[in-house]
Amino acid sequence: MTQQRPFFIPFLVPAVLVAVIFAAAMFNVFQYSFLEFVPGSVEVGGFTLDNFARINRPIYYWVLLDTFLLSFATAFFALVLSYPIAFAVVRAERNWVRSVLVVLAITPLFTGEIVRTYSWMLVLGTDGVINTTLKALGLIEGSIPIMYTRPGVVIALVQFAMPVMIILLATAISQVKRDCEKAAANLGATPNTVFWRVTIPLTMPGILSSFVVVFAWTMSAFSTPQLIGGGKVLMISNVVYLQGFSSFNLPFAAVLSLIALGAALGSLGLMKLATARFERKLATV
Amino acid sequence: MIHQKMTALQPDDCAVEINHVSRVFGSVQAVNDVSLSIRTGEFITLLGPSGCGKTTLLNMVAGFINPSSGAIRIGGKDVTNVPVHLRDTGMVFQSYALFPHMNVFDNVAFGLRQRKFTKADISSKVMQAIEMMSLSGMEHRRISQLSGGQQQRVALARAIVIKPKVLLLDEPLSALDKSLRAQMQVELIELHRNTGLTTIFVTHDQGEALSLSDRIVVMNRGQIQQVAEPIDLYRNPANGFVASFIGEINALPPATCTVASDEISLDIGNIRLIAPRRPEWQFASGQSAKAFVRPEHIRIATPADGGRNVVTGEVLTHIYQGSHTITRLNVDGLGPIEMRLPGGDVVGRVPVGLKADIAINLAEVVLLSNTAN
Amino acid sequence: MRSVLFWSAVVLILVYMTLPAVVVVATSVNPTELMAFPPTGFSLRWYEKALTYPDFQEAFKSSLVVMALSSTLATLLGSSFAFLIFHYKFRGRGLLEAALWSPLIIPHFTTGFGFLLLGSHLSLTQGYAVIVMAHLLLVTPFVTRAVFVSLSNVDTNYARAAANLGATPSEVLFKITIPLVLPGMIGGWLIAAILSLTEFTASLYVTASRTQTLPVAMYNYIREYADPTISAISALLILSTTIIMIVANHFLGLRRILGIDNG
Repeated sequence: MTQQRPFFIPFLVPAVLVAVIFAAAMFNVFQYSFLEFVPGSVEVGGFTLDNFARINRPIYYWVLLDTFLLSFATAFFALVLSYPIAFAVVRAERNWVRSVLVVLAITPLFTGEIVRTYSWMLVLGTDGVINTTLKALGLIEGSIPIMYTRPGVVIALVQFAMPVMIILLATAISQVKRDCEKAAANLGATPNTVFWRVTIPLTMPGILSSFVVVFAWTMSAFSTPQLIGGGKVLMISNVVYLQGFSSFNLPFAAVLSLIALGAALGSLGLMKLATARFERKLATV
Repeated sequence: MIHQKMTALQPDDCAVEINHVSRVFGSVQAVNDVSLSIRTGEFITLLGPSGCGKTTLLNMVAGFINPSSGAIRIGGKDVTNVPVHLRDTGMVFQSYALFPHMNVFDNVAFGLRQRKFTKADISSKVMQAIEMMSLSGMEHRRISQLSGGQQQRVALARAIVIKPKVLLLDEPLSALDKSLRAQMQVELIELHRNTGLTTIFVTHDQGEALSLSDRIVVMNRGQIQQVAEPIDLYRNPANGFVASFIGEINALPPATCTVASDEISLDIGNIRLIAPRRPEWQFASGQSAKAFVRPEHIRIATPADGGRNVVTGEVLTHIYQGSHTITRLNVDGLGPIEMRLPGGDVVGRVPVGLKADIAINLAEVVLLSNTAN
Repeated sequence: MRSVLFWSAVVLILVYMTLPAVVVVATSVNPTELMAFPPTGFSLRWYEKALTYPDFQEAFKSSLVVMALSSTLATLLGSSFAFLIFHYKFRGRGLLEAALWSPLIIPHFTTGFGFLLLGSHLSLTQGYAVIVMAHLLLVTPFVTRAVFVSLSNVDTNYARAAANLGATPSEVLFKITIPLVLPGMIGGWLIAAILSLTEFTASLYVTASRTQTLPVAMYNYIREYADPTISAISALLILSTTIIMIVANHFLGLRRILGIDNG
């Protein structure tokens, strides 16, 4: 048995060790959510359920709803804008075009949250590129507010989400059998029909999973709502930070973190269910 | 030849016309100045080794690839610049390309729906096609629930239900195992007879081509080598490539011809072979020619041969094949020769390493001018 | 017509994706304190300020330490884990996979918060251990994916052929498997290093003022000042990642590493 499994133990041990450390960190969040908050101190008291009861206030409902809606809008617009790019990344005829597209599409992922958020502040700000350009063109008199608004936050979030979405969609599109599209065209389907009746259904698992991944990802966005929302647009992450670092209410921050975690895992579970259904449908021998 | 001229005069009778078509990919000439007329209702096969341009040619008829030059007409209409979806061809792909997100019925109905038939019409046509392909009762199955043979039938049903002007088959049998392939060959012949559809079939399997086709187009390196009916192709290959690609054949070293009134003598070194002269041969005495002999036209010599067309070779190996045995010999002056002996009985074999006298029957020899390869 | 429309859309979307980066680079060379686009002149004063600002210098050193440790550990862990799940089925594999893939889904602030609490329990809040650990978890999935894709693309018969020719399991691993998946490992390491270098949200929770990483230092600067110093740093980061991506694409094939092969 051991001879059949070389390196099983040496490869398993570090993985388990790291997984256990991570589980311990997550358990700490779980544990803190049941501990009593002592105002003005980072020390905590005994067991209590009060932290969960605190959630029951309109302001937190609004924050949760806002987070949900902003994430949904972000995932939607990211999908609409990413699909053409992913399609081009996979299907462009020339190799250099595909290479240029992939570098342009993926690089923003690696410049990091702060750089990207800061760049958007320069674009969206009161004296930002958009406002100065519009003013120079004489289209507007005063600055239009984009910073500190929900649309502004979404504009930035969509761009953050796109590289990941493009990777996931491109993977799905590259798995579509070209023969299926050719067959549809051969049977009389116009290019439009081929796209909507064959390509889109065949990439539906990828569309669903990328949508949910971006949705979950955006729900945990922090620096964008923090800096571009500027306290006027609050997402869960910003409230966690406020509770943890301004009020030092670590137990309540833990509760909010758990809610965010639950929402992320919940949407992932939904995605698994939905894609499993599609993949069963699409399974070929 | 005369027939071909008639088809040119009557466009109705010509389902597909390929006119000086070429296609270049980068620096590769995939198809090189190919012209071909396909008659209505004909089952024609494009045969050749991989990379010979047969699939490219088929894809150009379907419209997936545009010719670099030349024109293609389907049903008398120039379709060279017509997009795929308006060409009205029915294609069966090597991979079948069935839509995995639709059931059998919806797959078959796809083409009819693009043609805006009424619901009732679609339903009756689809059910008819499904019945014709012996798929009744499976119309609501998912593609993933079908066997390879059943998928093949759905692919055929989907292509024929639209009554295309031409049915295009791209190596459709290559994914099936041997016994299923033989069965599908029979079904293809029957399907062709029942529907009367003009069919272009692409394959690299010469056996498949010989048994299915009205005519075979042999291609190599982007060019047509020969267009002929199967029997003609086997017996009178136009050149060395066709001779060796269709069936097994021994290519003998170049021979010098001596033409007599009813015979041609072929001198290869100090070996002399004598073939009965055929009217179509245009060889002059002293001309160099290449002779090709099929293994089934060689046998062990008997005293009755009187030494005519008998040579001696050393037996190299026997390859037992059940119904027959292939024997390889080395003949001084001719090189390696394969002969095919009916029956698998071991008794009559000359043991490996010994000499054997063999008689070459030149009644069906393929004789080509030495420059023609 | 259709394709003209399609490619115009592609170009417009790419402009949207790259516009912010262009603006940052442009403003970073602007001589005035106020942001101006297009720049009104050319000056490297903000680069000089960025590179000599003590907070950034310290933070950059921290970032390099964290990046080197976490990406290297992640490459070892991710590669061995990819090998493990590619080859073996075992009890608890699903659970282990869930644990090691989940940092992709779990909000970074939850992960950061968890490690903050864990760190304070273990009194490790002032050192690099907790930061490296958090980064390790966040970037390992990317290495695992890259190596897993590489393994899937390598014919298992190579390993079998080597074993059949008498190679021991270690020889098979080091002489056959690792050389064949090396592009995936290097690509994974690169991705891990860049993600660690730019990670912000989790780092905000687990770093102390002594150990703050570059993105955290930049965040703190943005909250207090509004001059183009950050533009200069950002421009440096954008240009270097772009160059790294072009080089990586050239030598490793980004599309292959990401599993986007041409269909």
